[in-house]
Amino acid sequence: MPPAEKTKKSKAAGKLGDKDKVHKLSLKGSSKLVAEFFEYSINTILFQRGVYPAEDFTAVKKYGLNMLISADDQVKAYIRKIMSQLNKWMLGGKISKLVVVITSKDTGENLERWQFDVQLQGKAAKAKAPPPKTEKEIQEEIQSLFRQITASVTFLPMLDGRCTFNVLVYADGDAEVPMEWGDSDAREIVGGEKVTLRSWGTSSHKVDTLVSYRLAD
Amino acid sequence: MATTAVHTPVKSHSNIFSTKAAGGRMPLTPSPRGRNSPNASPFTPPARRRHHDPSWHADPPRKANLFGDSSSRSGGSLTAAFASLNVSGSTKSRSSRVAPSPKSNIARSAASPLRLDLGVSDWALTGSGMTVGQTPVKRKTRSGTGKTTIRINGDRFIPTRGASSPTASSKIEHPTSRPGSGHGRSNSVLSGGVFGNDDNDSTNPSSGDDTSELYQRPNTDSREYESSIAAACGVNLTTRILAFKPSAPESSKPIDLRSQYNRPLKPAASAAQFRRRILTAPERVLDAPGLVDDYYLNLLDWSSNNQVAIGLERHVYVWNADTGNVNALCETSPDTYVTSVKWSGDGAYVALGLDSGDVQIWDVEDQTKLRTMSGHQSRVGVMSWNKAILSTGSRSGNIFNHDVRIAEHKTAELLSHSSEVCGLEWRSDGAQLASGGNDNLVNIWDARSIQTPKWTKTNHKAAVKALAWCPWQLNLLATGGGNYDRCIHFWNSTTGARVNSIDTGSQVTSLKWSTNYRELVSCHGMPDNQLNIWSYPNLVRNVEIPAHETRILHSALSPDGQTLATCASDENLKFWKLFEKRPGSAGTAREGSSITGKGNKMAKQMTIR
Repeated sequence: MPPAEKTKKSKAAGKLGDKDKVHKLSLKGSSKLVAEFFEYSINTILFQRGVYPAEDFTAVKKYGLNMLISADDQVKAYIRKIMSQLNKWMLGGKISKLVVVITSKDTGENLERWQFDVQLQGKAAKAKAPPPKTEKEIQEEIQSLFRQITASVTFLPMLDGRCTFNVLVYADGDAEVPMEWGDSDAREIVGGEKVTLRSWGTSSHKVDTLVSYRLAD
Repeated sequence: MATTAVHTPVKSHSNIFSTKAAGGRMPLTPSPRGRNSPNASPFTPPARRRHHDPSWHADPPRKANLFGDSSSRSGGSLTAAFASLNVSGSTKSRSSRVAPSPKSNIARSAASPLRLDLGVSDWALTGSGMTVGQTPVKRKTRSGTGKTTIRINGDRFIPTRGASSPTASSKIEHPTSRPGSGHGRSNSVLSGGVFGNDDNDSTNPSSGDDTSELYQRPNTDSREYESSIAAACGVNLTTRILAFKPSAPESSKPIDLRSQYNRPLKPAASAAQFRRRILTAPERVLDAPGLVDDYYLNLLDWSSNNQVAIGLERHVYVWNADTGNVNALCETSPDTYVTSVKWSGDGAYVALGLDSGDVQIWDVEDQTKLRTMSGHQSRVGVMSWNKAILSTGSRSGNIFNHDVRIAEHKTAELLSHSSEVCGLEWRSDGAQLASGGNDNLVNIWDARSIQTPKWTKTNHKAAVKALAWCPWQLNLLATGGGNYDRCIHFWNSTTGARVNSIDTGSQVTSLKWSTNYRELVSCHGMPDNQLNIWSYPNLVRNVEIPAHETRILHSALSPDGQTLATCASDENLKFWKLFEKRPGSAGTAREGSSITGKGNKMAKQMTIR
């Protein structure tokens, strides 16, 4: 925003008080928000889909919900490693998708695939100039998405047997790739059912969520 | 991108041209559209690889020049160049190509901006090794063998190609291998042909070369191959799918979401849903006046004929559970008292152990004593029947086996316990005998080699009176320890392994397995004097019944397995309907319930002399 406008706005804010305080998240802040969202998403999926036992999770308040995050040291370390790289990529805008694939340990089959599409909205947003969302609105969007993820256990098929999970990202070709990350196929569910969940977004990012799963035979 | 560019140039031309199929595909792949489009056939990547013709290697100088200019080096590869030509720049590129020698043209095309797009890693992989040096050689070889079909097509179509090419390339998705169909069939073929023409006038790739190259491709770089496949499947070339390679930590246990979502707030309550309702009030209470308050005695037994025998000091009473009648069976001599009571398996006889060490066998119907078996020097606190064999354990720690059918009744001495034997139980098949003593030992004896115990278990820290063999798993033995131990241990009597344990927190005075449920009931003394019903094998306590005022000394299970009789030092004999059969289920366990017995007719199954 041009500085002049900013000052106007601050004046206006002064008048109106905090009632309709509008936060314009910087791109950096927005990236952080998305990365954080990914972290909670992964944890939520691991919990809701029973990849790890429920007693390994502890509840924390987030997005106005009780979010369950893993308390298991190994799992925590594993997710932390993923997130540290993801944060870098997000800040660089190198990621277009994050995918959590749940795989059967017995057969190695991909059973479920949670895909989060990230769109950078920089230019488009400027052109259209949609009204910036307040922090509260963003949180509500995320909240309703997590509610949806939680509710999805009602239609997702039972995951039988032991399962494990993998995290994939769709990164730009020029993204720096550390040793621990390697090329992979898309791990699509062949002939799977797809369900699109709610979207949410900040002024700079839009996140679409899609779960695909194998239909029960 | 740079890397990719390097690889491509060499391969692309030769390969494309040489094989028909490849030719058709190739044009697709090289064109930016084709790559991007999800439709591209999986084959495309291999086609790219083909491009590396050995022949091309010869040309290195040319390539170097062409590619060298571009940052991409070789990466643009011939194919890429072609592609670019076809799709976007088609007219220009062609024209340029046509003019000079085919090879040189190709190289130029690579240099074109289009090439950059091609730069995708996939390409690079395929082309990488071969490209730079090869070109010149290629010509020679190609001209010899492979040119024929493809070129021809190409020649014919060349004119058309310019117009059609862009669209055609996108459609090309499935390259068919048919060589001949080329022109009519798909644009791709055409385009391929076109390329071939342009490039090749002289250069056609030889088919032979191509094939050899094909073999190599898969080997060369599997990763690249994969990525190329991914690209073919519609993944945008400019993005890479990356997986976090370390595998996720193991889950500590298998999870069943069904249970997770049914999970009650407290884990203990989870069993409640499946818990059957157990009556916690006694069905009947009888007085047992004069019951000797001695933990080491066994004064209560319930016969298969549904009669309960109880030893009350010097008297033995038989209560008929069918009719409710009580008969006094006998009275011992004044200098001794009854220390144990045990029904024979057929329910016709009852053995009485006496404080004097004698064992008497009584016919209950006739109310007559059949014989007296002496041998023990001290009181006989526990007995167990195995058909005609009666095992008796005494205060001295000795266990004797008596065959009640023969005059020389003592058939074996089982000497292991150093203190009073208070628990003794034959397995239902008679193959093993478990004994527990005041020396805190559990011995398991094998009937075939009775001299020494098969297993001696020292885990209990107090006298072991409670012993019970599992009715549905023959080699499973439950043992309960006394006041300082309070544990129930479960043993595999075959391997001697302890398979489970429960710390009950209370003295275990007797154990009975249910015949109707996968459960067992334990009777306790200090401090709680309760009955516990446990599920097995999950060892969940289904119910705890505060049964008596004082410690429960003895218990006996009815022949139908539904009712447990307990007597305690409060001189009450109580009957508990703990294992009531489900209404629907047939009475499988035993004939005769407490109410409708099979009658009093006794079938005597052995003759006692």
